[in-house]
Amino acid sequence: MSSVRCVALCRFFFQGDQTIKALDHVDLEIDEREFVCLSGPSGSGKTTLLNAIGGLDKPTSGEVWVAGKRIDTLGKSELANMRLHQIGFVFQAYNLIPVLTARENIEFVMQVQGVDPEQRRRRSMSILGEVGMDDMEDRRPAQLSGGQQQRVAVARAIVSKPAMVLADEPTANLDSVTAEHLMDLFVRLNETHDTTFVISTHDQRVMSYARRLIGMVDGRIVTDEAH
Amino acid sequence: MRVDNITLSLAWRNLWRHPRRTWLTVGAMVFSNILLVFMISLQFGMYRVMYDNSLSLITGHLQVQAEGYIDEPRMRSTVPAAGGLANALRQAMPANNVAVRAMAFALVSSAERSLGVQVVGVQPSYEPDVSNLPGLVKQGRFLKASDERAAVIGSSLSRNLKVGLGDELTLFGSGRDGSFAAGIANVVGIFESGSNDIDRSFMQIPLTEFQEVFFMGDQGHSIVVMTPDLFELEPAMSTIRSIVDADGLVVHDWDELQPGLRQSVQADMASAWFMYAVLIVLVAFSVLNTQLMSVLDRTREFGIVMALGLAPIRLGRLVFLETGIMAGLGLLLGVAAGSAVVSWFGFHGFTYPGLEEMSARFNLPGRIYPSASFASLIWGPSVVFLACLAAAIYPAAKLLRLQPVAAMRAA
Amino acid sequence: MTPMPGAVLFRLAWRNLWRNYRRTIIMLAAITLGVWAMLFMTAVMRGMVDDMVQTAVRSLPGHVQIHHPEYRDDPSIANSMPPPDQMLLDALAQAGVVAWAGRVRVPAVITSERDTRGTTLVGIDPEAETGLSFVSDDIVEGRFLGSPDDKGLVVGRKMIDDLETRLGRRVVVMSQDPDNEIVDRGFRIVGVYEANLENLEEAFVFTGRRYAQSMLNMDESISEIAVLGKSYRDVSDLSHLKQLEGSAREVLPWYELDAYLGTMLSTMDGFVLVWIIVVFLTLSFGLVNTLVMAVFERIREIGLMQALGMRPSMILIQVLLETFLLLAVGLAAGNLLAVVSVAALSDGIDLSIVSEAMQWMGVADVLYPALEIRDLVTTNVVVIVLGLLAGLSPAWRASRYQPVEALTKV
Ligand SMILES: Nc1ncnc2c1ncn2[C@@H]1O[C@H](COP(=O)(O)OP(=O)(O)OP(=O)(O)O)[C@@H](O)[C@H]1O
Ligand SMILES: [Mg+2]
Repeated sequence: MSSVRCVALCRFFFQGDQTIKALDHVDLEIDEREFVCLSGPSGSGKTTLLNAIGGLDKPTSGEVWVAGKRIDTLGKSELANMRLHQIGFVFQAYNLIPVLTARENIEFVMQVQGVDPEQRRRRSMSILGEVGMDDMEDRRPAQLSGGQQQRVAVARAIVSKPAMVLADEPTANLDSVTAEHLMDLFVRLNETHDTTFVISTHDQRVMSYARRLIGMVDGRIVTDEAH
Repeated sequence: MRVDNITLSLAWRNLWRHPRRTWLTVGAMVFSNILLVFMISLQFGMYRVMYDNSLSLITGHLQVQAEGYIDEPRMRSTVPAAGGLANALRQAMPANNVAVRAMAFALVSSAERSLGVQVVGVQPSYEPDVSNLPGLVKQGRFLKASDERAAVIGSSLSRNLKVGLGDELTLFGSGRDGSFAAGIANVVGIFESGSNDIDRSFMQIPLTEFQEVFFMGDQGHSIVVMTPDLFELEPAMSTIRSIVDADGLVVHDWDELQPGLRQSVQADMASAWFMYAVLIVLVAFSVLNTQLMSVLDRTREFGIVMALGLAPIRLGRLVFLETGIMAGLGLLLGVAAGSAVVSWFGFHGFTYPGLEEMSARFNLPGRIYPSASFASLIWGPSVVFLACLAAAIYPAAKLLRLQPVAAMRAA
Repeated sequence: MTPMPGAVLFRLAWRNLWRNYRRTIIMLAAITLGVWAMLFMTAVMRGMVDDMVQTAVRSLPGHVQIHHPEYRDDPSIANSMPPPDQMLLDALAQAGVVAWAGRVRVPAVITSERDTRGTTLVGIDPEAETGLSFVSDDIVEGRFLGSPDDKGLVVGRKMIDDLETRLGRRVVVMSQDPDNEIVDRGFRIVGVYEANLENLEEAFVFTGRRYAQSMLNMDESISEIAVLGKSYRDVSDLSHLKQLEGSAREVLPWYELDAYLGTMLSTMDGFVLVWIIVVFLTLSFGLVNTLVMAVFERIREIGLMQALGMRPSMILIQVLLETFLLLAVGLAAGNLLAVVSVAALSDGIDLSIVSEAMQWMGVADVLYPALEIRDLVTTNVVVIVLGLLAGLSPAWRASRYQPVEALTKV
């Protein structure tokens, strides 16, 4: 079963008498355990596509299926539930809830899921180790560097073992060494946890990690190749 | 404070960067201003009725009495030659109304009942000028100068004595010298003053009759004076003093005669001002909160303009100006809406469940008509205005201590 | 559906509250002041009305009064009633009745060598009056009456001054008998009482019940029976007396006996509520403002939480929880302040500068604020309920943001 399926997916923005076609009849299928990179010039629709897949945004027309279930017709609460249990998000910046510590941020999703405290703690501690942040569990986001924040965000995205992680330019604010660490982490998680990854990026080095590279221009998929 | 156009338009625009925040703050002012305008007008309206009702029924504005009568109203503490003295006062002060009274307690009996009653001797031709009790006669008529053996009594008293118009009453009491006094009077009128005490225990008879029954000769107990303005008594008092030069006579103003009245107003004012002060401080807090937030929001922006060379004092002025505009809006809208509310109630009257029962005890009507005056409309809102400006001091002062570099680094 | 993760919502709400501590502290100060003012003002008003009612109840009526049906309209000797029969005595012996006394009470005129005054002659059983009315406790000169046969007269301080007489002297009291014959009798003043209201000192003169009955030629008849229950607030303990009402007698609780006081008490309840609401409304503008700002600053975070799978209802609850915490802390401080300030004033507020006005209103010039549990409950409930209502609009807006819009907000 495919992890994601988009059928004739359109997302238009209407500004005055002008229509911006952020997604223009996108057809796309992503299987489980894939490691996909979305690339393309600025404004080509990468973020819009990720948002549509994650149910953050409603498409103008077309269908979006996640894990065999059509989601573009779901209500807000059902979408939230779907994200909670199946999708992990990593954004470019401002990923963390400022009033919670690193560990609390990681446990946040599990807490909302209703995981019991002991298991939460065990899992958050082990994931903190995995992303190399074991000694910073009690720091608040403001006390962490950009790269550290991004690592915590990744830890949070994968800690409850979602079927899929959507990452929107996760390395844009990171130096090359940290970016490489992060990508290594993604790859390892993809292999060990069987998590599907969909990552949008401008970064050549990130693309080099991809097993499938999708190129977008003006809201359309123009290239789609295995790597 | 010198304000140029740029600062003014800057302040104005800043306010509308967060229209909701501004309107909520102005809303707090408008709300409290309406409340203040309404309550203060209501108070003024009530006090006026309170003064009028309590003074015009019995007390009057001034009274000439024997010294000590005010504390211990004894039969023999009299004003000698009271009628003549009253005539002299009438001549000296044509704008004032003057009437003589005498008072005694007596056991009043009808065919069926006997009750202790306050008997008052009045001058039938002058009493209506100093009291509105004669006007409150609901059955029969008030006393006439030509009346003999006539009496006007309160409605409850007539019920308790089981008498009506034309019925005869006998009076027993002690005369001025302490000897036994007795008289007869026919009921010619029954009044309803609205005051329980007066309706239950008050009886008026002609002064001449009173003087005869109680062996008073030409004496009375008080000369009641109604002046044109109850808050301007000094001229009348000094005239009276110059005429009443006899030893042992004194002039009392209404405040001395009815000390509860002014104090009631004061006590009421004190509790009202406690309430107003609370509302005003709460509004000031609201302004403080808004302005502090708006200053903190703009820390970075302020840092930049300071780096460009703007003096901190000008930024402080800007904050005051913004507050002033909000407070001005609150004042205008509050006074406008408050006036509307006041004029509506001024026309229809204001009441609430229970007011009527409670007012009856103080001889007040069951409906209060707020009285709008410039003072009652502007007092409360002005204080709110000033309190709001005062609340801007702290946020403005924070600006004066702002370091441009630190400010620009702020999030 | 996943359950509501209470703990994490609570933690978020609490930490968010202190994020902009200046704003929170200003708002808390406002709530604290508002709540204090609600409670303090109420306590003062309650104290005043309390005193008014207690004074009035002690100045003869008792909590419930039994008298001839016509007596209230025409308090004359003609409207007296026979002494209590066995049925009434049984009813008066039931639990709930703390004390009761039968009295003769008629309008009278009192005359000394010097002057004459109107008053009310009250014939009492001295022992029964203890605790029921004020006289027995407030004798300042001479003695109280010893028995129903006592021939002495107890008068008020003001009355003795008015009449220019003194203890031990004789005065004449005049009234009427049932046939409307004037009866008068000389009395020796054996005691002088003081009351906290000056006009009470003129209103009544007391003698032994039997002596009054013989003077007034009324055999064993009495004018009224005053009954004292446990508390003036709740006279339901005495409701069984109401069943004894008939053509020969009327049974009335104090609040019907004195419409002014009865109305006063119920109007007070209304006033307390109006005052609480007015203060709250004044506060509410700032409250809504604070919450709107708090939400506005966090739009991006709200988007993030939605992206992480938080349902809109959880966002709504989180903001409401934050509102609740803000209110709860403010209420706690306000309640504490009110309790402390009322306790500090437990010796009373001296109002003697306006004592004449207080006399006028029927209250003593020392005022004891009374903070009542039910007012505390009302205040806290009203503030919480209205406060959450005020928080509903910002909370609703917060939960309605589109995740993408929220995430891209700068
Ligand atoms: N809320 C919006 N309103 C109007 N137009 C929008 C909105 N969001 C996106 N767009 C437009 O849709 C198009 C696609 O935007 P999108 O953010 O998906 O691009 P992107 O590929 O992620 O670009 P970048 O690499 O710069 O992040 C752009 O032209 C953008 O201007
Ligand atoms: Mg993008």
